[in-house]
Amino acid sequence: MPSVCCGCQSQYTYHHLLAFLLTFFSYVLLHASRKTFSNVKVSISAQWTPSVQNESLPAFSPSQVWEEHRLFADEEEATLFLGALDTIFLFSYAIGLYVSGVIGDRMNLRYVLCFGLCGSATVEFVFGTLTEWLHLYNVYLYCGLWVLNGLLQSAVWPCVVAIMGNWFGKSGRGFVFGLWSACASAGNILGAFLASSVLKYGYEYAFLVTSVVQFAGGVVVFFGLLTSPKEVGLCQESEAGFGPAVESDSESQRPLMSDEEEDEGCDGGYYSVEQSEGPQEELPQPISFLQAFLLPGVLPYSLAYACLKLVNYSFFFWLPFYLSSNYGWKEAQADRLSIWYDVGGIVGGTVQGLVSDFLGKRAPVLAVSLLLAMGALVGYSHSPADQVVNAALLALTGFFIGGPSNMISSAISADLGRQDALRGSQEALATVTGIVDGTGSIGAAGGQYLVSMIESRLGWMYVFYFFIVMTGGSILFIVPLIYRETRSMWRDRQGLHQHL
Amino acid sequence: MIKMKAGCLQPRPAVVVFIINFIIHTSCHLADLQICHTCNGTLLNDTVVGRFCSSSDGRVEGRCCFQNLNSSTTVHVIGLDLSNCSLDQIDDLQDASTAVVIDLSGNPIVNISDFVFQGCSALNEILLPTNLLCPGGNASWESIAVSEGSVICRGQKSMCNETRRMTLFCPENSCCAPNGPGFFSCRCIDGYHGYKCRREGEFPFIQVFAPIGVGMVMLSILLWVVQRRKVKTN
Repeated sequence: MPSVCCGCQSQYTYHHLLAFLLTFFSYVLLHASRKTFSNVKVSISAQWTPSVQNESLPAFSPSQVWEEHRLFADEEEATLFLGALDTIFLFSYAIGLYVSGVIGDRMNLRYVLCFGLCGSATVEFVFGTLTEWLHLYNVYLYCGLWVLNGLLQSAVWPCVVAIMGNWFGKSGRGFVFGLWSACASAGNILGAFLASSVLKYGYEYAFLVTSVVQFAGGVVVFFGLLTSPKEVGLCQESEAGFGPAVESDSESQRPLMSDEEEDEGCDGGYYSVEQSEGPQEELPQPISFLQAFLLPGVLPYSLAYACLKLVNYSFFFWLPFYLSSNYGWKEAQADRLSIWYDVGGIVGGTVQGLVSDFLGKRAPVLAVSLLLAMGALVGYSHSPADQVVNAALLALTGFFIGGPSNMISSAISADLGRQDALRGSQEALATVTGIVDGTGSIGAAGGQYLVSMIESRLGWMYVFYFFIVMTGGSILFIVPLIYRETRSMWRDRQGLHQHL
Repeated sequence: MIKMKAGCLQPRPAVVVFIINFIIHTSCHLADLQICHTCNGTLLNDTVVGRFCSSSDGRVEGRCCFQNLNSSTTVHVIGLDLSNCSLDQIDDLQDASTAVVIDLSGNPIVNISDFVFQGCSALNEILLPTNLLCPGGNASWESIAVSEGSVICRGQKSMCNETRRMTLFCPENSCCAPNGPGFFSCRCIDGYHGYKCRREGEFPFIQVFAPIGVGMVMLSILLWVVQRRKVKTN
């Protein structure tokens, strides 16, 4: 029997580490390929358009080198189309998320994950590399492929969050998930480096490398991933409920109970008091979409995430363009500077996850961070043209916006998908993750169009005002949850004081 | 006008090729160039083009003068004499774009577009009917003389060295090369290729994909042994 340990992590085996790493790198590869597309936009639009020359001068010759490709008349039209591709991708990703979450809870998570990774890699290869090698430039082909890519990529996130939820229980989830949700930002950084190092050979090679690496990742995951501790006989991690009071009770009772409880075929590791009702041998039933949607907390967090993901993804898609158009910096410099936002997001997600674990509550931490984010946005919109100051402000903004965003999409989704209301009898993790992220992606998709419209009509300052409004909106959606959690936190504090 | 390559077939290996080559050499497709037969007659020795042809050891065919290109079997036009052909317009000189001397005098041509001469980078002397201007304007030629009812433009100046006009520029990774009187082309500089000269070097397929492939196989095997082999199916 395991030694008495109250909440320490000695039950983590190397299987846990491998599950963490494999799911981490699956999503890193996915995001790297998305970032590749963002980073080669300038090269792609150059490929699609003829050279621009002053009106009075003749066109460049030889025309095969300078004038031949006329998919779009000029770079502005090409940029508009690229923005439209982003929107199309996000919408199909959102729709796919709703579906994939449901599928993931019903089918083998490993198969769905591999299918998503390898399928998306193949589509990206066709989109970026094959069309260039065959010199096949067609607007409808690009749109169709990108819709397919969005649907295939949507299979990955719910599966990886569900697998992480299987392996890592409630205690320490905030910190572990905070660290783990750095995968999106790490993927951005990897994608930026991969793309910039291969871009000189041609943008098609950037797509080739990222899609091959992603496919290889899918193969490795297929052969090496364990979706749940149950597959090797380890115990499922406990779900100690939503509040700290319950947690401390179960922790103090656990060593006593474990001596008396029937051994359910577990190798070790602790299991929850809460799950003692229902026989463990009975497989959890997958939850229906509507039931999952109506679970407490899912709707407010989904809507809040819609606003937050809008701001986050707008930074992701538009930041290099904003930096080069507003400050006049070169594309490579702007790409490298935009990494700082991701760095801030990684640190923010981890630190805030840790803090929320310590407090036992997530919503108040989110609220404080989002309030400070509004201030950071104001500060960033007035940033001077100095690169160092800009990078620092960018990291700060990333900390305050990326932190809550990472938390909602990972730790909180896992919380929601394994909460008391399910009582361990329903598989809901992937479905709930799909709902939260799907709603977030719809918000992000709508936002892309709005950002480009606001920018072209009113300018960048109003885009920042729009971001501030959205951040405020996300706070508004979780106000009921903040109120509830703060009140229970206050009561627990008072209760503790009374005991002493 | 059908553009046909002036020249013989490229040589293929083996003795058979040599024989074919010999046969073709004696009856080369030189005669297929339509421009050489725009009007009747052949190149005369005492014309400007004729003198140039004999001094360059060229071969006369119709109104054209051919010369071997740098010890290969392909030939190209170095001289074209279309004087007194009763032509009232010239549309296309693509077949003679390598010509060094062109004679168009004595024709009732009203005007001739500059673009006809785009690509004639080797053109050094051209004779035109009196009322016409030198292609590319006066600034594109070293010397312009009017004599015997024709205008003679000599010494094509490269557009790339032009200092009097506004600075011509070629986009990134390309450099200016002359492309006819008043024309320039932008050629990709060494190491760059592809559309708009954006691509540099050759992608190192082996160096990139071999490690990826090997890593994938090794990781898969390792992880399968460590993880999935222990799966309990119940």
